[in-house]
Amino acid sequence: MPTLDIEKIKKEVVDSQLWRSVFRGGVWKDTPRDRAAHIVGNVWLHLHPVKVRPRALKWSYTWGMGGISFALYLLLTLTGVALMFYYRPTVGLAYRDIKDLEFAVTLGRFLRNSHRWSAQAMVVAVIAHMVSVFLRGGYKKPREFNWGVGVLLLTLTLFLSFTGYLLPWDQLAIWAVTVGTNMAGATPFLGNEGPFGGLMGMHINNDVRFTLLGGTMVGENTLLRFYVMHCVAVPLVVGILLILHFWRIRKDSFSAAPYQANEEKVEVWPHLIKREYIAAAGVVLFIMVWSILQNAPLESIANPNVTPNPSKAPWYFVGLQELLVYFDPWIAGVLLPGLIIVGLMAIPYIDTNPKGIGVYDWKERAFANTMFMLGIVMWFVLIYIGQACRGPNYAFYPPWESWYILKAAPPSTWSVFGPAGVGALPILLGIPVIGGLFGASMLLPKLIQKELNGKVVLGGFLAALAVLAGVGMALGKFGPVSGAFMLFFGGVAFYFGFILPQRHIRSLDWPRYLVTMGLVVCTMAILLKMCARLTFNIKYVLTIPAISLNI
Amino acid sequence: MSYRKLFYAANFLLLAAFGWALFVDYATDWQHNWRHYQATYYKMAGDELDRQANEEKDPKRAADLHDQAKAMRNSPLMIRQIIVDDLGRYDRCTTCHVAMDEYTNPTLKTPAGWDNPYKGHPKVDEALVKAHPFTKYGCTACHEGQGQGTTVEGAHGHVLHWEHPMLSTKLGHIQGSCVKCHGNFETLKGAEIAAKGRALFKQHGCYGCHAINGWGQAVSVGLEAIADKPFERIAGYNYDRVRITDPEHPELGPQKLPENEWNIQNWILAHLTNDPEWVTPNDPFAELNKEPIPPSGMADYSRFVDDHDTGASELSRADADAIVAYLSGMTQEEMIPYRWHVPAPAEHEPKFADAKAHGHYVFQKYGCAGCHGLDAKAGRRRFNALGKGQADYDPKMSKEELFKNMELGREPTLPDLMGTYSHDELVAKIAGGVSAADAKKWNPNGPLPMVYMPAWKDKISKPELDDLATWLLSLAKKDDSGF
Repeated sequence: MPTLDIEKIKKEVVDSQLWRSVFRGGVWKDTPRDRAAHIVGNVWLHLHPVKVRPRALKWSYTWGMGGISFALYLLLTLTGVALMFYYRPTVGLAYRDIKDLEFAVTLGRFLRNSHRWSAQAMVVAVIAHMVSVFLRGGYKKPREFNWGVGVLLLTLTLFLSFTGYLLPWDQLAIWAVTVGTNMAGATPFLGNEGPFGGLMGMHINNDVRFTLLGGTMVGENTLLRFYVMHCVAVPLVVGILLILHFWRIRKDSFSAAPYQANEEKVEVWPHLIKREYIAAAGVVLFIMVWSILQNAPLESIANPNVTPNPSKAPWYFVGLQELLVYFDPWIAGVLLPGLIIVGLMAIPYIDTNPKGIGVYDWKERAFANTMFMLGIVMWFVLIYIGQACRGPNYAFYPPWESWYILKAAPPSTWSVFGPAGVGALPILLGIPVIGGLFGASMLLPKLIQKELNGKVVLGGFLAALAVLAGVGMALGKFGPVSGAFMLFFGGVAFYFGFILPQRHIRSLDWPRYLVTMGLVVCTMAILLKMCARLTFNIKYVLTIPAISLNI
Repeated sequence: MSYRKLFYAANFLLLAAFGWALFVDYATDWQHNWRHYQATYYKMAGDELDRQANEEKDPKRAADLHDQAKAMRNSPLMIRQIIVDDLGRYDRCTTCHVAMDEYTNPTLKTPAGWDNPYKGHPKVDEALVKAHPFTKYGCTACHEGQGQGTTVEGAHGHVLHWEHPMLSTKLGHIQGSCVKCHGNFETLKGAEIAAKGRALFKQHGCYGCHAINGWGQAVSVGLEAIADKPFERIAGYNYDRVRITDPEHPELGPQKLPENEWNIQNWILAHLTNDPEWVTPNDPFAELNKEPIPPSGMADYSRFVDDHDTGASELSRADADAIVAYLSGMTQEEMIPYRWHVPAPAEHEPKFADAKAHGHYVFQKYGCAGCHGLDAKAGRRRFNALGKGQADYDPKMSKEELFKNMELGREPTLPDLMGTYSHDELVAKIAGGVSAADAKKWNPNGPLPMVYMPAWKDKISKPELDDLATWLLSLAKKDDSGF
């Protein structure tokens, strides 16, 4: 029996014309030259640099979130294409095709579950990626544009998830999309129910909501439109932006970890590649196990005549839906999300602090980190309340209470500034008052030039509030819960809206200062309006029904 | 753990997870997966053919039967479905119930002792099954359930969010499917329970509050499409209060239903076997709403017929099931093809020689028993109206006391009143009705008593009114002196 010389066979295979024409290299040896060639000579990997700083490799540095988001995106594309073999986007067939996936297609249930759970995981991963990049200052010069691209990618991820949500055509789908798209109808100027919409000639059959739905309500056209957006249009745009995003990462010298003298870089092959592989494998494994163990929800077939009580948007939008309790749709659904997106994109341009690029640095970046984390915490707290604490008729149900316990209707509300008969005080007074308060809150921190003792000022403010709350409770105007709300919201708004900016950004130049304070005061306004509603049952601070403007 | 080890471990785990997914898909709940049942059937059918072969004298025939047995045992496992073009459905019931598939088992019969899902379809030799070939009608047209399903729970449809689970054959609910197409179900062999249901519906005065296709009063919901009622319209709060006895386990008594048994059949059954006042208590003390809202005005058919609590029910469980069967056919799904409908014979008014008998018929025809009781024996419950046995209203009474007294309110018990009317007075009273504004409340802060006597002059014709009055007057209670 002739002995097999493995090495010789290997060499002959690798030196053959077939192999060389495809792979272009010879036998790989474990030398620096060949390790570099692995990266440079491979179309999928060559966006990586050949060497990378060892600090950037640590899991605790990036949590791998960017790579995990991309791995999930690839998994979604793969499972999505497979699903497209079985799914037809018409109202007569969509629901039945989902049922067939569950009952008749081999691994159909597994496939659908993988797609759904990957989508939820990707939304979480993309947000986690944004948080980790922010906390590392990875958006500062020269990476401002890439951060903006990332914000766009976040928006498109949410939109992909939203359009996909409609496709099963069950009750969950149709009503979640109805809630979401009705917010579009409240767009200022372009929506038939938004401020100034009527003046622009917007009606239910020609406004921006009509464009989105392809009709006046969620129906056959909407399903087709959302299917095309979900499977073709938006993935193409996301693909283009991802190419841009990765290109800029490389061009901005890959990792933002700051230079150190005498730092020895390590080779990307194998050190970064192996971590990327393990992360991707871990993600796929996680999704597989989750998909085997838990079924994606499917309710009864969509019925436009029957509205579930309560009807909720998908979880990532339910925080905005919770804000609908306190604000009109044009604010909660259009203005605030718009401000969030624009505000996020503006951050690199208003943050001039040169410290903390590429490292986690809480001390040097106290203002930036605190304000950003306030936003993230508010976002998730509102999601939690909207998802777990809102029951039938959107009444407040603590998580331990059964939704079978009926609740009384909420107390009647009143408006502060409005036309006669609607508001307690006239509109003409309200516009300067509200505008003045807004402007004063914006200007005050910079106008007080010397550093105030935060503890003393906050303590004094809380004491004053406590006195007011006490007086109010003694007069029987409201109860202890409302008093507690006053202290909480007032304290938080004062701390984040006055004390922090006063301490940190009063030295900022005027344009940047105004933009920053504008965003900060808007955020505080949300908290204060929530307090107003919860404590005093105020519906609108200012309402001008003639132009559908209600704040 | 080195990355190399992690690499191998991760790849292995990925392969294992994929294998697990395949296993789950093919063998989950091994007993509930269709492959198990189909394979078992083929084995049983093969064994039966072998048994026949062994008893066969002719050797050629015996060999042929043995070959057939072998082929049967080796049949490939596949999903079998009946495509019902007329309904736009495909029913996969024959995937497990292979013996009910006309292509595998042309006689649709199986040896004695075979149980579901292996046994053939019952009543195969009867006109019922012959008139409804499965290739045309499928299975779910009659049995309901989730035809697309290929697991036991999924196909039988007793799962969350499937609104049309399989109808019980034991309780007779399945006969509701006859009502869907057969306008002549009342004289149809095989639809006797549904026919009884309709007769009970008329007899016990259901038309007095519920209209079907315009006939009856619109006091409560119309029932012409009750079988299509979406579950979203039934508050979980009310369904949570329903208690139904499982006929398989009567010893356990009335039980709360698990959520996958919340279907329209059980909801209707709940109305007839539970006290509607308990199931739908609403808000009589205005605790949650601005105005007090009385509980459901429907009578408690699970209890007494007249005011003396005899302990008997007005409707037995069998009666209730019959009404459920009848109402399960009340659907307006456009999907049922028009040419499937069998028209009803014209309903002629029966002729009565005796005015009293006619009057009794009229009483049932217009649903008067809905308020005045079965055969006018005793007025039904009317929350917060005046009634016998009520204490004097005292604002300091406790909530329980108040509720107990408000519950005692009744519609008028006609035998007690007929003695005070002359024939013409009675006809005028029925024709003119009693307006809602005249209702007297026992508790002035309580809800307005629901249900008032409508003006019947536009609905009941003069001769009918005359005979009705005659019959009612004959019910009048006489005192000792005979007046």
